[in-house]
Order: sequence, then structure tokens, then C-alpha cells
Amino acid sequence: MYPFTYHRPSSLDDAKARLAASEDGRLLAGGMSLLPTMRFRLASCADLVDLNGIEALAGIERGDGHVRVGAMTRHAAVAGSAEVREAIPALAALAGSIGDVQVRNRGTIGGSICFADPAADYPAGLLGLDATINTDRRAIGADDFFTGLYETALEEGEIAVSVEFAIPERAGWAKFGNQASRFAVVAVMVSQAAGGAVRLAVTGARTHVFRVTEMEQALAANFSEEALDGIPVSSEGLNEDLHADRDYRAHLIGVMARRAVRDALAR
Amino acid sequence: MDGVSVNFTVNGREVTATVDPRTLLVHFLREHLKLTGTHIGCDTSQCGACTVHLDGKPAKSCALLAVQLEGAEVTTIEGIAGPDGMHPMQAAFKEHHGLQCGFCTPGMVMMGIDIANRHEAPDEATIRSELEGNLCRCTGYHNIVASIAAGASASRRREASG
Amino acid sequence: MYVGQAIRRREDERFLRGRGRFVEDITLDQPIAHAAFVRSPHAHAAVTRVDTAQAAAMPGVLAVLTGADWTAAGHGEAEGVWPVKDMSGAESRTAYRPLICVDGVIRCVGEIVAMVVAEDRHQALDAAEAVEVTYEEKPANTVTARALDPDTPLVHPGFGTNEVMVTEHGLKAETEAALANAHHVTEVVVPTNRVTAASMEPRAYLGHYDRVNDRYTVWTTNQAPHIVRRYFTKSLHIPEHKLRVIAPDVGGGFGMKLYHYPEEGLVLWGAIVCDRPVRWVGTRSECLLGDTHARDHYTVGRMGFDENGKILGVKFETLAAFGAYESQWQASITNAYHFTMLSCAYDIPAIHTTVRAVYTNATPVDAYRGAGRPEAVYQVERMIENGAQEMGIDPLELRARNLIPPEKFPYQTALGISYDSGDPPALMEKTKALADYDALRDEQAKLRAEGQWMGIGISAFFDMAGAGPVKMMNDLGAKVGCYDVASVRVHPDGRITVFAGSHSHGQGHETTWSQIAADRLGCDIDHIDLVEGDTDRVPMGIGTWGSRSLSTAGMAVYTAADRVVAKAKRLAAHMMECAPEDLDLADGEFTVKGTDRKLSFAAVANASYHSGDRPPDLEIGLEETSFFDPADCTYPSAIHLCVVMVDPETCAVTLRNYWAVDDVGTVINPMVLHGQVHGGLVQGIGQALMEECAYDAESGQYLSGTFMDYAIPHAEDVPSFGLDAHFTRALGNPLGAKGAGESGTIGAPACICNGVTDALWHLGVRQITQPMTPRKIWRAIEDAKRASH
Repeated sequence: MYPFTYHRPSSLDDAKARLAASEDGRLLAGGMSLLPTMRFRLASCADLVDLNGIEALAGIERGDGHVRVGAMTRHAAVAGSAEVREAIPALAALAGSIGDVQVRNRGTIGGSICFADPAADYPAGLLGLDATINTDRRAIGADDFFTGLYETALEEGEIAVSVEFAIPERAGWAKFGNQASRFAVVAVMVSQAAGGAVRLAVTGARTHVFRVTEMEQALAANFSEEALDGIPVSSEGLNEDLHADRDYRAHLIGVMARRAVRDALAR
Repeated sequence: MDGVSVNFTVNGREVTATVDPRTLLVHFLREHLKLTGTHIGCDTSQCGACTVHLDGKPAKSCALLAVQLEGAEVTTIEGIAGPDGMHPMQAAFKEHHGLQCGFCTPGMVMMGIDIANRHEAPDEATIRSELEGNLCRCTGYHNIVASIAAGASASRRREASG
Repeated sequence: MYVGQAIRRREDERFLRGRGRFVEDITLDQPIAHAAFVRSPHAHAAVTRVDTAQAAAMPGVLAVLTGADWTAAGHGEAEGVWPVKDMSGAESRTAYRPLICVDGVIRCVGEIVAMVVAEDRHQALDAAEAVEVTYEEKPANTVTARALDPDTPLVHPGFGTNEVMVTEHGLKAETEAALANAHHVTEVVVPTNRVTAASMEPRAYLGHYDRVNDRYTVWTTNQAPHIVRRYFTKSLHIPEHKLRVIAPDVGGGFGMKLYHYPEEGLVLWGAIVCDRPVRWVGTRSECLLGDTHARDHYTVGRMGFDENGKILGVKFETLAAFGAYESQWQASITNAYHFTMLSCAYDIPAIHTTVRAVYTNATPVDAYRGAGRPEAVYQVERMIENGAQEMGIDPLELRARNLIPPEKFPYQTALGISYDSGDPPALMEKTKALADYDALRDEQAKLRAEGQWMGIGISAFFDMAGAGPVKMMNDLGAKVGCYDVASVRVHPDGRITVFAGSHSHGQGHETTWSQIAADRLGCDIDHIDLVEGDTDRVPMGIGTWGSRSLSTAGMAVYTAADRVVAKAKRLAAHMMECAPEDLDLADGEFTVKGTDRKLSFAAVANASYHSGDRPPDLEIGLEETSFFDPADCTYPSAIHLCVVMVDPETCAVTLRNYWAVDDVGTVINPMVLHGQVHGGLVQGIGQALMEECAYDAESGQYLSGTFMDYAIPHAEDVPSFGLDAHFTRALGNPLGAKGAGESGTIGAPACICNGVTDALWHLGVRQITQPMTPRKIWRAIEDAKRASH
């Protein structure tokens, strides 16, 4: 690790101020991705502002037609939350499929979406569930939030505060994990809103999470696995690595989409 | 870089130290406190050899900075045995040959205790799934799974008896 | 009797309480400095400039050392203990792995260019980053199958070829004739994937030089500490008596920790230069790159059958990657352990194998659990499986027709090796019953009709374990004597210390050696302590590898204990005024046969040191050492059977069941034995399904550099195992014991690959290269679909 100055703010305002005062500041949430990256000297900062002491940033609240999850809420809390399990069980399933027990005890939703790893699970959850990201200054729709490889719409010094999920009519989650890292090779979140609109988001397959509109349209007309039959998935532009080439990833998108639909229908 | 002062509890003892903020919890435990039972088996937080309990829940001490521990309670492998002998989970690992080289063992035992804490009578599939964050290269897991099942049952018996 | 009992391990409590003492845990009176290494990011390059000035001036830096410094100091390189020998018997085209780049040429990613020694870890890493190195990148050769192609870059241009050597074994003319006359010939291309041991404890070394007494000490993650001294005579030119090597608790080795790694020599060099103890603890990424890799064969095989499925002959042509350099034990695989095992458990009249060893721009290959035998079994068993499928004969039935019958033992293979004992048909009967084979075939047919892909895999094999005797292994190329050593020291109070030249890094010698010694000495097992892993305390040793410790060091314990008893009996007989033959020793007491006259072992021990009343020709003291040279290797055998399910959508493999029936001769501790088999199986499963040290074919970049990409099995990737046994005694040692450490790893890859092939045969799939990842299985099915259209 390169040297840095450590900050332990106790309030969001304090954190904002410290971040603003730094030439090269970074926020530390769960640290499950950031700290290993810093260990490899692939990331560095002059000031590391630790959000773990800010209690107001954590917590789960069910409101009228939505569930709000504080940015510093741990994956284990989401996976185990009675509110989430009742309102959006697929979201609880997603949270419970991230990493491992130890990582889920520490990792946070805010950290995950702001780090924006191309194979992270939560981005598919946010995009597939039509979530809104509330920051210290505005609300950003999931469609606009994930902009590239490890890139988000957050501005300099902007802090994600919570994520608001609209409660769908139904939603399903399916993940195919990498044999080594257990990150998603391909994972899919599908949801159908009360009005019938369908969202289907894929993570792990491109630089960042994306929707498959052909599938969404087919499912909006007929929310069933069969509706996906014959919808081709192009391998163009898909990620290629040791664990999956483009063609296999394209195949997996079809498989995981069907499984996500199956999961939604079974819940 | 200036040292940062941190106060927390390790195995029931108060610890106060001034540390380089770059110090990982696992290095702090091993090098400052000489608690060398917690091991480092990888650099990507995959292997779980560094698993400790942080405020009662398992965490990977290689993915935490020591300075983040302000006010926390940490339990390591050195802190689980009682005055009368090993913790039932430790004893179960011995009885069921749940270790060979012993390197992953502290992390496995800490994880085993957590599994026992959260599951009434964990079956094989549950134990295997809960061990997703812990790697072993010697035992083939067969006897680790048996050890944790037995250790969980022994822990419950101990609670029931008093 | 302790032997045969599942005695719980005596070493466990220290590990369970977090009190194990690994190299990283060692503390010394002096502060220990940290080493960090500057490594080449390129697979093949010329180093045109190394500038250490800035790094050397950084805070806390004690030294920055390069290959030029190494050469100026007159240091050398470690010699192979199992050097390559060509067919002619000549040692050929040897290029040993340098400890640090000395000739300006980088031949694999990760090669060390400079070492920084600094006060703390961060300072060492900071300074390593400040060392400026200029590389001129060259095209790399990392694809084994193409290593001998005319346009492939040469790793060592001085040799004019990438070929290290060629060896041929077996019956060439007979094999050609058998294939020509066969009713059916199966041909399969069977590459064996490059994998690595990935012991959970990364390699680590601590070097110390005591200037006052001119003594060197190295704490090392090594399996054979006495052999480490031998390496240092050539690398740092330290005489063996000046160097103490301590291998304390070691967190798994699997063969990979047998070698003189660059970092081991360099930390001691740093300690000498800086006059400070210096330690390096490898990170996982440094170890996945720098630990020796293993396997990496590219094999084409042809097997001929008669109309009844009887194997007439089999021919193999193999390219065996060495990597960039020859590692110290490398040729033990090509010249001893691979070709010898190509008959597996089968009575094959004609076998011929040609192995071309080749250099590639990749990490050196050396022994890893199984070392040559997993490759051999995979190569043979894939032929048999495809042959059975092609001929429409049940794969188990075809194997049963070819197993070596018990009456043929000792069985001379077509490769010139003689298996001393075994009963493969009995193993097969037990396997069949254990797995309920016929029911599995019924289930497979039923599931297939439902669109589910279930496969049944089988492998049947022999292992050559227990390396020894010295002469035989010399003949196979070893330049280390393959014996082992133990001393049994009885203290005046009758308690015992056993010193053994083996090294336990998970095997449980503190328990099993004590079981053997306690039985021979007629004493309580708790009266025995074991010392291993310290060259200043143990007289000599060849170390733990090749499933050899029991039949060599364990037998040395047995023999030394018997000598102690013989001497103690003479003294006891003198004290009790009877003949030594009249005495029994049990439960810590000598008893005169047929009487109630007793004398405690402790009293005799005390007298042996402190009484002048003894037979005139009997020397004082009670301590014996045995240098045990076994009469033969041991030849354990086993049959494995597994059930795999392949997901028709994702093509992921679920290993549903795994059974193994072993013949390891006499068992010292069944609990420890089963643990060894379990662990070996999962390493073999990893090889079959997920593990791969992968290089980019174009750039030579290493692609599996962390546990994010190098997949080792997790608990949920494997089932619990069903084990059984059928024992025949080994003839080469008095206990009748055979090696047991590698069986699982040797048989599992073939078994699982056969299972997956069986699951997909009806789809037209014939062979999938290991590791059989979902991606590759999907591709194989797609290719088969396309081919059938």
C-alpha cells in the first residue's frame, strides 16, 4: 500500500468536508474491493475517508412502494432483512450471493455500486429493479448511474447516501459464478413492475451492467421462460477472459435470463 | 505518514496503539500483538486463513485496516479456548482429523464457530456452502465438514448443560 | 499395539490453539529486515539497464542487490539433484534456474532482477518500485505443443533448439506390431494441464548469518531440509557443516516445497551483505507465479484392442514442458515417475513411449503430488475409456478384462518395472460393490432419457512410491541417495526422543512415527517425542516427498528402535542374570519369559548411562541410528469411480459421488490414511475441473496470477468421499507398508475426465482438454453439434 492519511469522520457533513479538503481523497466503505486493490498498489490516495463510523448511512427502511437501503448497509444485513425478504426477495437473494460470509459481513451496497466492478452483483440489482441512487446532492436513476468500467455518474466529492428500490410485482435473480473468484461470470436480475414493465439487467458480461431490451419486451408481453426462446444474444463486445469467452458468455446470458425468470415466477 | 491511535479489544484485552494507517489488522495482530495464529494465505481476500471475529461476526483481517477497529471487539484463534481446555470446535477438529498442515485451521475453526452460532444443526450442504470464504489444500474438506458438524453439536450440548 | 489404530494426532493442539510455528512466525533477538523483489513483467526480454541508485537512497533501505552483484560475489546456481539424462544416458542441455538474472536475459515472467532489503515491509516495497529496469521485449514461447515448431523462439539459443532431451522406453517393435494387428485402435490427443500446488502457506524464508561463529541459518518452507544444505554448497558456496537449515511447521508442500528457490538463496545472501537477519514471505500472487508449476504434457496416444477389448499395445508421444529452466528435481518426472507408470493396473503386453522435454518461456515445472503419475494414468485411462465407448463394451467390464490378475504378481510391466504385490481384480470387485455400479448405469440411462447428463468415470492404476533403494533410484537418475534416517535416543529416565530425516508438513509424523516406535519399544506413546526439520539436530535425511516417508524414514524409526531394544535387552539380561532371548519387552517392562520377574525399561535406560555394571563389550548409552535403504519402491494401487452431472444449460460439472478403493499395504493410522486420500483426491479434482496456470499464447503473460483467477476447489465444489481398502503387503519393507500420499491426486483427473466424457459421449463429444471448465465443455458440445450437421 502507498501511504495515506486516514480520516474517521462521524457524520456525513464531516466526511464531505474532509473529502472536499483533500486533493486526492477516497472514500472507504466496506473495503472488500478497495483494500485488496490498494494492497496490490493498483489504487492509492492521499486521504482515505472511512465511512464506517457514520451510523446514519446504514439501515433498511420500507416505505410506500419502495425499500430504501442506506449506502453503508452490509450485504449480510440486506440478505437477512425481513423487510427486504418480504418486499423484494430477489434482492435479498442477490445480497446473499455476494462473495462469502466474511465478505457479506463487511461489504456494503454503497461500496459495491461506487466501485462499479464489471462483475459485481449489485449493479444488476439496481438496474434490474429500477433503483434510484440518492447522493448528498441529488437522485440518480440506475440507468444513468453506471457509465463504464469502474465508472459511475458520481461527481468529484459526491457521496452515495442510499439506494431506493421500487417494489416490483415480481423479480428474480440468477448468477453463474467464476470458479476462482466467485464473482459473476454472468448474472441477471429481472423484474416486472405492477404496471407490467419489465427490466432485465446483466452484470459480468461487459465493461458495466446493461439491459437487454429485446428480452424485456418479450417478457412484458408474456412473462415466461418460453418468451425468451429464440431471442438471440450477440457476443459482440462481451468480455472475454480465462473463464468465459464471448460466445460462452452470450450463451450464459440466455441461460441466466431464463433462470432469473424461473426464479421470479417461483417466488 | 503520521501514526493514528486506535483503541480496541482483542480476546477480551484492551489494546491501545499508534499505527501506520497502512497496517492491515492481520499484520497488527501478528506483528504488534504477536498473535501469530491468524494467517495470511492470499492477497485477494479469498482464502480465509485470516478469519477473526469482529464484534462477534467472522471477518477477513487482511481486508481491514487496524485503524478501522476503534472501539471494536476482536476475537482470534488464541482467544477461544477456555481455562478447562479447547473450545468444543477446536476439540472436534482434533477428534475428526479436520486439519493436516494446520495453516488454514485457525480460519476454519473461527468460521466453524460462526456456523454453529447461526445454524441449529448444520447439514453437510450448509457447512460446505458456508465455507465459501475458506480454502484448504490438505484435507479435501471431508473431515473439516465432519469436524464442524460435530463441533456445532458439541457447542450446543455445552450451552444446554450450562 | 498402536500401529493400525486411529490415534488422534499429537501435533493438532498447537495448530488448533494458534500456536503453530511457521517461518513467518519466527522471532529473533535482532530485528528482522524485509526483502522485496523486482520481477520481470515480461516472459522473454533482454534487460538493458538496471538502475538502483534512487532505490538505494530511500528511507530504511539496507541494500539493493542485482545479478551483477551476485556474479561479482562469485555466487553460483543450485545444481539439480535429479538432472536430465538423454536416451544415451548423457546429461543434456541443462540450464538451471538462476537465483537472480545474471546474463541479462529474462526467460519467464516473474524472474528476479533485483532484491531490496529494508527495515520494514513498506520501505522494501517502496524501494523495489523505485528500481529502474529497462527491458527489450522479445517474442515468447509459452505453448508446449508448439515448442519445437521451426518458427518458435528459442528459450536458450545456445542449445540451438528448445528440446532438452528425448527419452524412449518400452517395446517399440512389439508395440508397432500390436497396433498394426489390432481389431480396433483408439487415438486421442490428451494434453495434461499446467497446474501448481498452491499450498495454503506461501513460501517464506528467513536467513541469518552469525559472524562471530561463522555459522549460517536458514528457516525455510521446505520438505527436505538436509537437501537444502546441498543446494547452498553450489549457490552461495557454503559448506554443509556451516549451514543449519530449519524447516519448522510448514503449511503444506505437495512436492512444490522441495526446491532451492531463488528467494531462499537471496535472503541468506542479503543477511550476509547487510549483517542482519532478512526475511521474505511470499504473497499469493508471487507464489502462483514463482512456485514451480507441474504437469504440462502434450500427448498423442494410440491404443490397440482385440475384438474382446483386450489391450494389445499402446504407444505414446509426449512433449513435456520444463518451463524456462530445469528445476532441481525436474527429471525425476520424465526419467523416473512418468514412463514407469504407463501400464497402470493393466496387463498390457506392449507399451512404447517417447518423451521430448522442451523449454518454454514459462515458470519451471517440477514435481507436484503425483509427479508424472497423474499424467501417465490420465494418458492411459483416457485411451481405455474412449476405446470401450467406441467398441460398445461397458467401460468397467473392459477394464476388468485387462486388469493384472493376482497370480501374476510380482508383475513385470512392459516398461521394465516390477510391481511387488497387488490384487487389482479384488479392488475392482470392491469398487463395483461400493458404488453399486449396475444401479448407476440404470440410473444413467433413465436420466439420459429425461435429458439429464450423468456420467460415470473410472480409473485403475498403480503408483511407484517410497523412492528407494539408493541404487535403483540412482539408475533412474537420482543424484541424491534415496534412503532415510532415524535416531532413537533413550534418555536416562526411559523417555525417548526420535529424530527423523523426514519432514511432516501435514502428514502427522509426530503421531505415526511415535506409533511405530512405541510398538517396537513396548512403551507408552506419550513417552516419545519426535524431532524433524533441523539439520543441526537430525543426523541426515532425504525428506518427505514421493509417498516415501513411511517406507524409508518410518522404517528407519522401526529399525533404530529394534536396535535399541536389542541393546537394552543385553543390558537387562545382564542385570537380571538371564539370556537376552529370554526377555519380553512390553508396557515399559522387561519380563523373563514364563516368570513374574520384571525390570522396568527406565531402570535399564538409567543403568545404560550411569552404571558400570554391564557386559564388558557393551558400550555406554542407549541410542541407535538407522540409515534405512529399502529393498524396493512400494507399489500402491487403487481404483476410483465417480459420478458427475453436467448441467445441460451452463455445462457446469457437479461431482456427485466419488469412491476410491486403495491398496496401501499395512496401515499405520487409518484416520491419517483417509485424510491423505481425501486431500489428494481434491487436488486431482481441481486439476480435472478448474485449475490451470494459463499463459497468453501471444504475449506470454501469466493469466492466473491470483486466487481470483487460479481456481482451487472450495468445500462446495466437492462431495464427501466413499473409501474402502483391500490390502496386500508390500515386500520391500518389514512393515509391509506402501505409500499413500499421492494416490488420490494420481487417479482423480483421469476418473473425472472419463466421467465427463461418458456423460457427453451420446452428444458426440470425445475429448475435452483439462481443466474441463464450463466454457470448454460448452464449446466441445457446440463443436460436436456442428460436426454432426
